[in-house]
Order: sequence, then structure tokens, then C-alpha cells
Amino acid sequence: MRVHSRIPLVVLAAAAGALAYSAALTYSQENVSTATAAKPNASATPGTIRRTADGHPDLSGTWTYGIALPATNLLRIVNGQTTRTQFDQSARNKVWDDIPGALPWDKAPSYKPEYQEKVKSLAANESKVDPVFYCAKPGTPRIGSPRKIIQLPKETIFLYEDMSGDPYRIIPTDGRPHRANANPSTYGDAIGHWEADTFVVESTNFTDATWFGEDGYMHSDKMRVVERLWLSPEGNLLYQATVVDPEVLTKPWTNFARVIPPSNDAIEESPQCMEDDGHRLLNRDHHVQR
Amino acid sequence: MPSKAIDRSHYGGQYAPMGGYVKNGMFAVLLGAGVTVVAPLLLAHHAPSAIFDMKKPVTLTGAVTRVEWVNPHIVLFMDVKDESGKVDAWKFESNPPKWFSKVGVNRADFAAAIGQEVSVLIVAAIDGSKYGYLEKMTFPNGDVIAVDRADIK
Repeated sequence: MRVHSRIPLVVLAAAAGALAYSAALTYSQENVSTATAAKPNASATPGTIRRTADGHPDLSGTWTYGIALPATNLLRIVNGQTTRTQFDQSARNKVWDDIPGALPWDKAPSYKPEYQEKVKSLAANESKVDPVFYCAKPGTPRIGSPRKIIQLPKETIFLYEDMSGDPYRIIPTDGRPHRANANPSTYGDAIGHWEADTFVVESTNFTDATWFGEDGYMHSDKMRVVERLWLSPEGNLLYQATVVDPEVLTKPWTNFARVIPPSNDAIEESPQCMEDDGHRLLNRDHHVQR
Repeated sequence: MPSKAIDRSHYGGQYAPMGGYVKNGMFAVLLGAGVTVVAPLLLAHHAPSAIFDMKKPVTLTGAVTRVEWVNPHIVLFMDVKDESGKVDAWKFESNPPKWFSKVGVNRADFAAAIGQEVSVLIVAAIDGSKYGYLEKMTFPNGDVIAVDRADIK
């Protein structure tokens, strides 16, 4: 790479030093020996999947924000100069037909007849009854794919940005079973394992207060969620979720796989959710979000 | 890389509009690479049309008194002056903070207007309350921050 001769050497040296330092950083791993510590990404060859020392694909990294934002552009005038800015939201809604590794999927879950009216009613009145509209946690899998993944030898950590409060999920990968005495939760009790190059997260022990999808997709506390994550040779994260709830569904529901590009946007604390529109709504116009 | 994509814009659920509401008429756009991108929809939850008269943008002038960088919409408070000099306290919401973050606008960019006379283009609440959706702010020095809709000049 040619270096522009006008960049001071001291700046270049500082930049190189900073890069070397960040490459040497490892996350704190209290239960792991140095022999199995994750290496920094060694694979700079395009088309290959980077792997950790134990041979699994390395899902670690920061991934594109996947929640819908307004499709409008920003128009800005500063000192008489006009700029228009838009950003790539393709991680949100790109629907591919034939993603290698993806499971077949269905447009919508199949509810048992006795639940169909309720789901329709929830969907129609979403802007009044959707807990997420009123700052509640979306839960798993509605939160979608993680914004940041930290993959360690015995656990993988998912970090999210969400206006309900930036959740995290710690997913043990050391073979332990689900916790026997944990309280039900919105994000569930998760354990993870590898099936070839796919990371499979199985979650259980949910409360029934969330929706698993946008359109009034209520569920029981018997719901289980299976999420599958894998890398494409191009370096994208693939994410696909299956909801299993024999109480309300006639069969498990698998949603379409999402292709999530890596992101240079560091994760940031989501501003506090303070909802003040619910009491002003004059009709039920609304949109999906995830 | 998968090459075949399908127009799913007519589907319900996670990747299509509910109730037919679409902002700016954006829908499935077929790109040269054969990918169908279903246009993301405006906003996190309710549609602005549930509150505001979207067809009647209104220009107001006054002093910004407060900026709250919160979800699901940033909030600005303004003391709006009418022709007779009467001052009313208005509250505006605008796009989500993450949207502003993505397009490079920070709280400080709006907070620079605190105490200053600005003019804003808004759509007002249908119920007549002093509440609106902020689409454009023009600062005293002529700088502008705006949601770029075709009808905003």
C-alpha cells in the first residue's frame, strides 16, 4: 500500500502501534487456559472463514444494526453547502432465496385455530398493545441478531443495542445443560453447540409476555427457540431462528435467514426509551420494526 | 453468493408493510445484482399518520428550550411565537436517535439551537395539541437539518 508522503511519520508510527496493541488485546477469560485463548483474526485471505484456535468459525466481531430505521435521507446545509446522507439498511430486509446453509422457511407461523383470532387482533392493534412499542424488551428471537459477538472457548457472548436497555446473552458452550432452577426470562436460558460450522443456540425457560415476531406473534411459556449462526466466505454473519411452541403453534416456525454484514459502527448505549405517543394515537396505523 | 432473490414486498409479517402504509412510496426495488431489497419502513412503531396531519406541513418560529436525546424519537421543546407575539410551548418529536447517529447528527447539533430563534417545518397533531413531528430546522445562520422528503424545500 502506498503511503502518502505528507503523512508525518510519527502519526504512522502511532497508528501502527495502536493496531498492534489492539491485536494483542484479548478479552478476560477467567475460566480458560492460555493454551486455548482465541487468536486474533489470522485469515486475511478473501473467501476463507476465519477460525478460532479450537477450529470453529470465529463469529466474534461487530455486526450491522438490524432494526428498521426511517428510510428517509438526511438533508443538511452547513455554511451554504448541501449534503444528503443515507445509509445502507440492507441488513434489515434483504431476503435471499438460496443462502447456503439456511433452513427452509415460512412466511408466517402456523397457529392453532383457537389462537388465530387473538393473534390477528394483537396485530391489528399493535400500536396500542405491542409491548415493544411501550419500551418493553423484545426478547428472543424478536431482538434479532446480535450487534456484537465475543466468542470465547467456553462461552459466547451476544451484545445488543435496543431501546429497552441493550441486553446481553451469555451462551455456555462447555456442554452444560440448561439451568434447572433459573427463573423464566424474556431472553431465555441459552446453551450453545456447534454443528459442523454452524453455531446453534437453544433457548428455553421464557416468560410469555413477549412476542416472537412483529405481527402479534404471542407465545406460551413452553416456547423454545433455536438460533443458527454461521459465516459466509464473504465474511457476513448469517442468522436464522426457529420458534418451537407446541402449545400455540401447529408446527415449529423458521423465519428467513438474515445476511448481516460486518460493521464499523461501534456499539453504543441506546438512549433511554420514553414513550409518549400511545395516548395520542387516533388510529391504528403502524409498521413492523424487525 | 446467492444470486436469486424474490420480491416479497406483498408478504405480511417481518418484511412488508402492515395495513398498506408505506413512506415515500418505497417498496421492493430490484437491483442490478438480482437482489430484492424490501424497503425498510418508517419508524419503530406507530405510523406518524396516527397522530399528525401528514399533508399539511407548517412552519413555526421560536426559541428552542430543551433537547431530549431519547428513544423512540428525539424530543425538542420550543417556545413558539405567533404574529401577535403570543408564545406557546410546543413539543416536537423527530426521527429516532439511532437514525440521527447513522446520518451523522448528534444531540449537540440540535442543542446548538437552545436559546436561539429558529424556524421549524413540522406536521402538527391532528387533535390540535401543541405537538408536532419535526421535519426541518433552520438555524439563524441559515444552516439546516432536515428529513429529506421531496416536498421539503
